[in-house]
Amino acid sequence: MPVRRLDPILVDRIAAGEVVERPASAVKELVENALDAGARRVEIVIEQGGRKLIRVVDDGAGMSAADLELAVERHATSKIPDGDLSNIATLGFRGEALPSIASVAHVEIHSRHAESSHGSMIRVEDGRKRPVAPAAHSAGTRIEVRDLFAATPARLKFLKTDRTEAQAVADIIKRLAMAHPQVRFALTGDNLSGLEFSACPQGPEGLLTRISQVLGAEFRDNALEVNAEREGVRLTGFAGLPTYHRANAQAQYFYVNGRPVRDKLLHGALRAAYMDYLPSDRHPALALFVQCDPRIVDVNVHPAKAEVRFRDPGLIRGLIIGALKQTLGEAMHRATTTGGSRTIDTLARRNFGSAPQFGAAPIRPAANWDWRSSPAAPAPFNAGLAEAAQAAFSHMPAADTRAHESAPAPDLLDRPLGAARAQVHDTYILAQTRDGIVLVDQHAAHERLVYERLKREREASGVARQLLLIPIVVDLDSSEVDRVMDNREALADLGLVVESFGPGAVAVSEVPALLKSGDIARLVRDVADTLAENGSATSLERRLDHVLATMACHHSVRAGRRLTGEEMNALLREMEATPGSGQCNHGRPTYVELKLSDVERLFGRK
Amino acid sequence: MKVTLERGALLKSLSHVHRVVERRNTIPILSNVLLQAKDGALLLRATDLDLEITESVAADVGQAGATTLPAHTLYDIVRKLPEGGQVSLETAGDSGQLLLRSGRSRFNLQSLPESDFPDLTAADLTHRFSLPAADLKKLIDKTQFAISTEETRYYLNGIFMHTTEVDGHMMLRAVATDGHRLARVELPAPAGAAGMPGVIVPRKAVAEVQKLIEDLSAEVVVEMSTTKARFTFGPVVLTSKLIDGTFPDYTRVIPVGNDKRLTVDCAPFAAAVDRVSTISSERGRAVKLALSEGKLTLSVTNPDSGSATEELEVDYDAAPIDIGFNARYLLDITSQLDSDTALFKLADPGSPTVIQDRDGAAALYVLMPMRV
Repeated sequence: MPVRRLDPILVDRIAAGEVVERPASAVKELVENALDAGARRVEIVIEQGGRKLIRVVDDGAGMSAADLELAVERHATSKIPDGDLSNIATLGFRGEALPSIASVAHVEIHSRHAESSHGSMIRVEDGRKRPVAPAAHSAGTRIEVRDLFAATPARLKFLKTDRTEAQAVADIIKRLAMAHPQVRFALTGDNLSGLEFSACPQGPEGLLTRISQVLGAEFRDNALEVNAEREGVRLTGFAGLPTYHRANAQAQYFYVNGRPVRDKLLHGALRAAYMDYLPSDRHPALALFVQCDPRIVDVNVHPAKAEVRFRDPGLIRGLIIGALKQTLGEAMHRATTTGGSRTIDTLARRNFGSAPQFGAAPIRPAANWDWRSSPAAPAPFNAGLAEAAQAAFSHMPAADTRAHESAPAPDLLDRPLGAARAQVHDTYILAQTRDGIVLVDQHAAHERLVYERLKREREASGVARQLLLIPIVVDLDSSEVDRVMDNREALADLGLVVESFGPGAVAVSEVPALLKSGDIARLVRDVADTLAENGSATSLERRLDHVLATMACHHSVRAGRRLTGEEMNALLREMEATPGSGQCNHGRPTYVELKLSDVERLFGRK
Repeated sequence: MKVTLERGALLKSLSHVHRVVERRNTIPILSNVLLQAKDGALLLRATDLDLEITESVAADVGQAGATTLPAHTLYDIVRKLPEGGQVSLETAGDSGQLLLRSGRSRFNLQSLPESDFPDLTAADLTHRFSLPAADLKKLIDKTQFAISTEETRYYLNGIFMHTTEVDGHMMLRAVATDGHRLARVELPAPAGAAGMPGVIVPRKAVAEVQKLIEDLSAEVVVEMSTTKARFTFGPVVLTSKLIDGTFPDYTRVIPVGNDKRLTVDCAPFAAAVDRVSTISSERGRAVKLALSEGKLTLSVTNPDSGSATEELEVDYDAAPIDIGFNARYLLDITSQLDSDTALFKLADPGSPTVIQDRDGAAALYVLMPMRV
């Protein structure tokens, strides 16, 4: 068969496969067009997961009749006015979206340019363009996409259920909405509970409002503002507290110059920053925005623009890790409020309808606190914290249960964790602050303090290395060998000294003394894997930290140990002074705070 | 089967063989001990498929036969029987039950057929020699601590035994290493040992052999092939599979050019190492040895809790050197030395150090330093 040129409509359909993979990608392209047109209001309607109908209505700049004529042509766009691909400030730039969609669906566009007296419309069916006709329309653009993929049955077969596709559309809208808080978004359709994000003011407060609209109201109480800048690259956004963790990475939103991306580099940096605070299978919730000169980032590497490439990945990585670590460190001991409010909810629910008996509802902050079984409670405690029970305290050795023989110095009350009042069940410290109550899990808290101290020790003295009499040869594939050898200095700092051993292996000649009896070959393979994944030896660090964490666990005050008032106060003060003491090494909170207003609510006083 | 014997004799034999039996087994027969009565003796045998111990004990055999019983249960029963009694074991027909009687105690035990019991012994052992139990004990005691417990380099999980010619004398050598330190002990090779294959005796077998050496003056018969080793201590016979692997060429890691010689008194040295390492919080923390003429300064620094130093008068006249070691390893080695002084041969802080008795004879240790 001779070589021949393909029919232009077929060419368009082939290209459409790249850009329009499923209804959600069509929605993404159309909404991005709306945003590029400066819309303040974007409404999206879908039917059958976007398969039957996608309608996007915006109040943006709109198009004139001449624009419309060209807009559905391939490689026609109003963006990149100076034709410089390295300087892209808009979301779109390829001039591909509309013709691609038009080649696999029926598209109808109504639009009126803000300065035109009347609107126009154009219809494209299966890639065949109809003439532009005048039409009535308010300022802005309305695009209707019907019967998507009707012309490409193969693609249609690969679509998931309407519900799943609708969910994907909702996901895209959430991602875009997060980056444009000042724009109102509304999504409705069948198989969908509908989204409505009202417009928020400019600035961090508006952004936080929008993030909370997307991630849920709890995020607001557990968010830390991130704001950092390095060499012209700006990082803003909000990071969730480590104790506010999720089972998957769904709640992580990254934007580069307003463009939502899913990038390995960014996720790797994130893992490294949270490494110390979260177990490896939990994920933080956050939304981060990288603002930089468009020239130092290449957005033209992925058909759906989901990935970007930075000219200096090390800078971005360093910025993210540094900024997050600093933010988390400054948040000091702020633990999630969710624990506290959940307690209130639980207690309130139990009390509802039954006799208000505080003693009947044990203080059990959250379901995930069950792991620590409390020692048997001394009988008087069962009566709760009523006056009678307080009297019973006095029969016990005073120093053990009462934090202070005399009234506490008033300034202690002003400290974030307040003044220790009592120890309950020999496990939890009850402290009073100006405006609430703090319950501290003494073991978890002290474990974290010891862990932080051990880490400081390690940083001060370096990682001690045991030299090997017989080097351990580890077989790796050649790219892994290169990666490991490229990072040999960083590895040596962590105590692992490797030498090249031919093209398919490395020889380990020195190992961290802490890990000397472990399986070194597996460690090296893990390190090679994490190097491939996110460019740093997090697995080695994690392993070292794990040893420290185990030692910390053994060297800390256990549950069940009686503490004197001085000891309790000392623990609280040290927690205040130690960054990251708000959660234990496993991401559980070390304390919960109940605001006085919450307690009052509990008793129906408010 | 019907057999009667003294409780004390049975207990002693059981105590030897039952240790081999793992507490939890996926194959039921491996939880059992084989009992075989014939020719005026009761033979007991237990195995974990890698290691087998057989012992025969004199008994009054009423009716020859064999059966198997749960090893730990039987051991516990016999242990709790009153001293000085007689124990009789009798199979009760085809029921698979065995009746154990002693004094007024009666136990009906469920047995498993002896035909299921695995046989490990059928092997051609090519080399045979005997040596005093004290010598064998020395070979084991002085190397055992260096056996690796890391499963990935399985060929290090045992003691490498082989013969080699040193200065015209045939020597029997035992070597163990965990990759951080190495222990080597040698003795003049007993007759018949020359030419034996180099074998790696697994850790569990080493520990059992060590426990079975009760009478230091007795002779132990050792038989070897490339896959199995057998140690005979009078009535007790231990047969073990060997580790199927190649022991690394250890001679290459023993340095010969270390010219800095340090002589210390073992006891004060060990005590000093122990004292200064108290200050380190992490296990296995390094202790630093700073050597200058006639003086050794031991020091440990822990940024959180402080530092410790101790000076020792030593015999040293080479160039000053600072070198770090794992305190635990130093103590392990010094506790193995026979003489009251230890000779260290050092090169530099990044190279292996040789530690020996003063006379430099039988035992030699190589220790890798730490970088601190």
